[in-house]
Amino acid sequence: MSSVEDPKMSWPVRIGGLLFLGLAGAGVGYLVGGRMEVEDLRWDDALALVIAALLLTTGVIMAAMAVLRSSTLPPACGPLQALVMLIAGVLMIAPIWGPNLASPDVVFIGLVLLSIIQSVANLMLWRRADEMLRRVMVETSALAFWASQMALFLYAAAERLGLTGGVSAWGMMGVLMTIYLLASTVASMRRGLH
Amino acid sequence: MNNRLKVLRAERDWSQAHLAELLGVSRQTVNALETGRYDPSLPLAFKIARIFEQPIESIFSED
Repeated sequence: MSSVEDPKMSWPVRIGGLLFLGLAGAGVGYLVGGRMEVEDLRWDDALALVIAALLLTTGVIMAAMAVLRSSTLPPACGPLQALVMLIAGVLMIAPIWGPNLASPDVVFIGLVLLSIIQSVANLMLWRRADEMLRRVMVETSALAFWASQMALFLYAAAERLGLTGGVSAWGMMGVLMTIYLLASTVASMRRGLH
Repeated sequence: MNNRLKVLRAERDWSQAHLAELLGVSRQTVNALETGRYDPSLPLAFKIARIFEQPIESIFSED
């Protein structure tokens, strides 16, 4: 019989987890900052890098949580969520950093393959999620769609009026991802998932 | 919607993780149900009633 109180993480496990997260953070910092001329970044690239760092960090934390506290999520959902987050982080950073490693053609093919893998992982996540996690996904999508549509309309109207212009598709993608992350945070916190 | 999930679970000396396993949901979902952050679907409400061997209306009530 299980006890009423759920088991807490032991201190060695907590310290190990913190060390793991510290090493992962150092790795991400090295990749993001050490291999690029950060001072010369355009605003859309800077935004994409911030989002990529957030996604990669969240992905690593989710992977650690999936190992340390697997009972908090439906079976197999933790690793899938971590995978989706990590791939999303790579997708945001690869168009900026990838050309340092390979030709743009090769980078783009890699991005297409990663997008397909991420879509399959998302589908698997949906199928394995319990009803509350699905509700959070639906609410995130609805909130992000509403906010993105409004932002796009306002920008398009301002552009049509000659008040602004010059935002690249890459910049719009960064804004879209920012909106999505905010929507996801709001939807998750409403259900106590934080 | 209010519910007596936490009381019923405590009476049986079950952890959230154990109840989650019985219901086939995550521990987070049980926690959200108990704290009123999430109202269950009808199938999940029936499952809860079956596990605690009580009618739905004795577990869940309107605000």
